[in-house]
Amino acid sequence: MKKRLSIRNNGMIWILPAFFFLIIMIYYSIFFTFNLSTMDWDGLSPTMERVGFANYTKMFKDLVFWKAIKNTIVYFAITFVVQNFLGFVFAAILHSDVKLPTVHKCLIFIPTILAPATMAPVFRLMFSPQGMLQKFFDFAHIPITVDWLSKPQTALYVLMVIVVWEFTGMSFILYYAAMSQIDKEMLEAAQIDGAGNIRTLWTMVFPGCKGTTVSLAMLGVIGALKTFDIPYLITTGGPDHATEFLGTYIYRQGIRQSHLGYAAALSVMLLVMAVVGAFLTNKANKGE
Amino acid sequence: MKRRNSLLMALLLTVSMVFTACGSSNGASAGSSSDSTAAASSEASSEASTEAGGKADLVWWGWTPGSPLNEQYIAEFNKSFPDVNITWKQTTVDDYDAAIKPALANGEGVDIFEVSAGSANGGVGIFGGQAISMEEALKNYLGDDYKDKLNEASLNSMTVNGELKALGVGTVYAGNLWINQDLFDKYNVKVPTNFEEWKAACDTFKANGIIGFVQGAGQGAFNMDTYHAICDNIEPGLFTKATRGEAEWTNPVFVQALDLWKKLFDEGIMQDGALGIQQYPEANNMFLSGQAAMVMMGSWYTMNCLPDTMRANMEAASSTDEPFAMVPINFPDIAGTGNVGYVFCDIDYATAVSVNASDVQAATDFALWLGASEEGQQMIADSLNLVPVLKSVSPNWDNVVLTNPEKQNKPVQEYLTNAMANPDNPRFGGISADLNQAMMDVLAGVASGTLTSEDGAARLAAVE
Repeated sequence: MKKRLSIRNNGMIWILPAFFFLIIMIYYSIFFTFNLSTMDWDGLSPTMERVGFANYTKMFKDLVFWKAIKNTIVYFAITFVVQNFLGFVFAAILHSDVKLPTVHKCLIFIPTILAPATMAPVFRLMFSPQGMLQKFFDFAHIPITVDWLSKPQTALYVLMVIVVWEFTGMSFILYYAAMSQIDKEMLEAAQIDGAGNIRTLWTMVFPGCKGTTVSLAMLGVIGALKTFDIPYLITTGGPDHATEFLGTYIYRQGIRQSHLGYAAALSVMLLVMAVVGAFLTNKANKGE
Repeated sequence: MKRRNSLLMALLLTVSMVFTACGSSNGASAGSSSDSTAAASSEASSEASTEAGGKADLVWWGWTPGSPLNEQYIAEFNKSFPDVNITWKQTTVDDYDAAIKPALANGEGVDIFEVSAGSANGGVGIFGGQAISMEEALKNYLGDDYKDKLNEASLNSMTVNGELKALGVGTVYAGNLWINQDLFDKYNVKVPTNFEEWKAACDTFKANGIIGFVQGAGQGAFNMDTYHAICDNIEPGLFTKATRGEAEWTNPVFVQALDLWKKLFDEGIMQDGALGIQQYPEANNMFLSGQAAMVMMGSWYTMNCLPDTMRANMEAASSTDEPFAMVPINFPDIAGTGNVGYVFCDIDYATAVSVNASDVQAATDFALWLGASEEGQQMIADSLNLVPVLKSVSPNWDNVVLTNPEKQNKPVQEYLTNAMANPDNPRFGGISADLNQAMMDVLAGVASGTLTSEDGAARLAAVE
């Protein structure tokens, strides 16, 4: 009786449902995916052929896979810097005496809540030679052809512009909240000592928001790795895989081409990269 | 006591979750085992014979032609089979594979499902394994000479490992252009028959603020249509031979075709930024709203010759104009060979009966009614969406009134007659998923200049 009570008291029994749920939904799925990555299977056929690590060998020789990795890294590096810079600047401006602050906050944040599926056709048209951006350039007699989405050299950067537009609001709101926690007297003291606005921002406010920056970095890494909707809906990963990401490539291989085993190998790689990314950003947070 | 009850509840919840997971897992494996597939089929058949007198509730999955046409087919079917209740479940064409795959693997909730030929979405090669064989039922319905009564492609492209896995409903033909005849008349533009005329037409329209030819080259399937048409223009039938392994993709014809494909972009026939937009909705909308004068579409576009259908589709394209006279023309002779008028066809969609259908007999009745009965096929024919597979049926032109009969009747009827007379030339039917992807990549790469025609052809040849 005493033993039963101790089990109850330490609470282990109460986490059992969630524990089993976790095992079935997460750990079993990971194991299943890893097992699948050693198979050749189309998703419906009654037979699965065990191919060992052939899918991994194929993956490391696959130029599209490396293009997807490169795109993910470039995409993360640029969108993380630009998005957070803008979010930080907007947050700083709105902490000063700006008229109609609520209106500005809404305008900055609204893109974050818009569904990419509804915005994708708008962006495809906007960034096409028949779209409103082209009409603006024509009206202003600026000799630029807006065919950027159709060119492998520029399509990825157009997607980054869209992503920055969409998610700057998230960076802004987190920085805005973080800045509210900074002691105003400290900032006033810095300014009395002769620090200008930019120096105060850089040497006092930005370090004070370090936790937010690290959190945004972690979200950015995860977001970059699971990028799917915007490239899939706007460019379908093209042209010529110029905007391919791991997510779109996994979908292409697993669903469109029915190479479930290969798609599983790509998914395992995605998981490994997510774990490494989370580990590195976490380490960076604890570094100082 | 209260604590003990809570403890029991927690344990019960845990156990039920485990069993729920195991249950669905078993269901999935049952659906994917060949032995169990056969068992399910025979079990379902015996169930059907016992249920024949009762009310059947079926779910029909698909992506085309979409509400309300599918419901109209069901309503017409119910006039002959009032005891069969069918619910139409639609996904988008792009989402279909992702949605139907787990649904079929689960083994429940899918009685009838649409499949298509080859590597297109819902390819019968992938999903046919989950369908019963239809050959006996078709033989009983149409007689032993059923092969003579149906379009050849409807049988060939739906046969997997010697078994007829689905019944074709209608065929689609591609390889031609559609033009806005009213715009051609308004600007006095000659209908193009070769590369120079095509370019001249595009230039004239451009000078008048209209896009000459529009293609959503960001959507690979339509690029394949254009490439196939170019290949047939150079040497008819070679493309099909290559898909069957009877010709090499490194053949100079395919390199020349890639050069011509690139030339369409370089010489301004393809509109600026073509690779950045999709055929649906953008290119379609531009054509239907009168912003573009020509578009690469197939026989499914014939339905837009009907004023009501066109008005609805124009409204969807944000146009409030009155329907215009659109007519089909041959793909221009851009290679200068004189080989024109070739089109290629596939079954647009076929109806398959799931091995796990709740009532196989009722589901088979529906598939037969839609794909092999005079009533069902006449509905298909008159919608002008598809060309019926039953050879004895054709559109009832006395009842079908086009937007501008004077301009449209002759070319549309000739187009459909010519299309049906074209020999064995599948659209996607002979193309594997891997070749499909490679071809889309190559065409985008050559068009954007990141790949030479020679390298592109070599990449096609490298597909296993």
